[in-house]
Amino acid sequence: MVVLSAFMVLTAVALERAVVKRALQAEEDGLQLLVYSLLAAVDADDRGHSITVTAERLFEPGLVTRNSGLYALIYDAGKREIWRSRSATVEFGALDEIGIGEWLFETLEYQSTPYFRLGFGIQWPDINAELQRYDVVVWRNASDYVEQLSRFRQTLWAWLIVTTLLLLLVIYLVTRWSLLPLRRIGLEVKAIEDQRQTGFERSYPDEIAPLTENLNILLKREQFQRERYRNAMDDLAHSLKTPLAVLTGLGDRQDLDRAQLDTLREQTERMNQIVSYQLQKAASVSNIRIARPVDLVALIDRLRSALEKVYREKNIRVERDLPERMLLRMDEGDCLEVIGNLLDNAFKYGRRRITITGSVDADKPAGLAIEDDGDGLDESEIEQILNRGTRLDEATEGQGIGLAVVADIVESYNIRLHFSRAELGGLRVELEFRSI
Amino acid sequence: MRAIVIEDDIDIQRQIVERLKSEGFAVDSAANGDEGLYLVQEYPADVAIIDLGLPKMSGLEVIRRIREQGNRLPILILTARGRWQDKVEGLDAGADDYLVKPFHHEEMMARIRVLIRRASGWSDSRIVCTPVVLDTASQRTYVDQRELDLTAYEYKVLEYLMLHAGEVISKTRLTEHLYDDESDNDSNVIEVFIRRLRQKLDPEESLKPIETLRGRGYRFNLARADNR
Repeated sequence: MVVLSAFMVLTAVALERAVVKRALQAEEDGLQLLVYSLLAAVDADDRGHSITVTAERLFEPGLVTRNSGLYALIYDAGKREIWRSRSATVEFGALDEIGIGEWLFETLEYQSTPYFRLGFGIQWPDINAELQRYDVVVWRNASDYVEQLSRFRQTLWAWLIVTTLLLLLVIYLVTRWSLLPLRRIGLEVKAIEDQRQTGFERSYPDEIAPLTENLNILLKREQFQRERYRNAMDDLAHSLKTPLAVLTGLGDRQDLDRAQLDTLREQTERMNQIVSYQLQKAASVSNIRIARPVDLVALIDRLRSALEKVYREKNIRVERDLPERMLLRMDEGDCLEVIGNLLDNAFKYGRRRITITGSVDADKPAGLAIEDDGDGLDESEIEQILNRGTRLDEATEGQGIGLAVVADIVESYNIRLHFSRAELGGLRVELEFRSI
Repeated sequence: MRAIVIEDDIDIQRQIVERLKSEGFAVDSAANGDEGLYLVQEYPADVAIIDLGLPKMSGLEVIRRIREQGNRLPILILTARGRWQDKVEGLDAGADDYLVKPFHHEEMMARIRVLIRRASGWSDSRIVCTPVVLDTASQRTYVDQRELDLTAYEYKVLEYLMLHAGEVISKTRLTEHLYDDESDNDSNVIEVFIRRLRQKLDPEESLKPIETLRGRGYRFNLARADNR
């Protein structure tokens, strides 16, 4: 826009200069013709020493009409006026030095009136055939020219502004029109991000179509790979855990050698820990940011009703202080894993009460705190429990990897996880969702 | 108690069935969803153990269909994946509890007992109808703090009657819930167990804990000490 405006101004300036130059040239040419016609009408004066112009031989009526605006004067070498046209009723100053055969054209203001002035230095023979020096000077009133020039300028700039604005409007519309497909692509990318659609669905101009087609291929491949990866993880989980379950079942038999069974049980448990931890970690998709926002509140309520079913005997009272919605851009499976493990621990170790508090403020990250009234953990226990696959309570089978998986997932989402002593007496877990 | 096990892995299925039988359960088992759903529809059971990853019909679908039919049978799901998404989906579909593979059979039995008690309105592992106390965890029975010496079948009959204390239990229902195969047992055997139980529980005939309702069955008449 700035470039276009500058271009238009420069064009206008160049145009104006060209027009002025052409007009001045035309004036100069006209005055030169007049000078030549004056010279054609030159005669010697009565004494034969000086020159004069025979008015009757002048074809320019402006020179014989008083105050016509066209004046001619001739000066001798001493800058004394030796002839003037009948039209010239006012005094005009002589020219400064001018060479013989030289033309001097200028525009000037004289007695508040604009004039064109053309001077010509000549030598003319007197009766003794001696060459005498003269200056022929022609004045033309330039008021009309100035007025026309002013009108021309006004018209030029008015049109220029109108044209520039029109051009800018056209450029804006053309740009908008030509960028429309890109805006549509942007909207579709947003829809894909929000998982409202799986790829680019609209048709695009030939220039952009290859891009969206390739992106569609890429998205499909990515979805396919993701799906395949998860399925592979599920298959792996199933195929590893089933034999582990058989071995675990064998370890529970009462009729076999106790010492060997203990070893079998211990080793099976270790294998299960490693397999579970690595599989859950691998199944986390936090590195894939194309995720539909998850409503944390709805998810908490869903988990809460599931866990209330599982821990029905404990009659735990859950107090929730949550906003209406808490939207997080996080994979739902990962979110369920984090909140599920934390809530499960609260239900498992809490005695009568659990509190769930959430906050969403515009000027700080969303936060969630889960407290229980169990025994809580001291710092070394927290440190230990966050280590991979470490189980604090050997009696609570298969649950040791829960918090380690939580720690891994929250780290990959840049979520701050903090443990402290709850007001209720048990464990307080805080999550601060810093960048999602 | 009768349990239905729906698990496609034959080794795991066999282990679960053996363990349940050793705990005195009558067990029916299936290796796919279709067959499992058929068993649940055809045989009255006290609990179902259903694996989520089943061939033909998924475990989730089996649970949904059971619930759609209005069947409140307690269901324990088994999952290999162990993700919360799977657990919540299973519980949302109508399961009552979950177990992640691999699991210890003690834990499975503990959860099964809780589910069975819960379905009958008992929250504690000790079923108390004063002065009779049945400890389901240790499978011991006391009357006025005196331990009774019961056979496995006597215990099963008493457990079933006490779990459903106050309800009329027909002989057929008792047979269905206590025996693997009904054809092997006639109702006279039940009558024998009831008579022996009466003698052991109430030798003085002062409590009269088990009432016979002619043509209808039996009712455990001592009041529950626990709240439903």
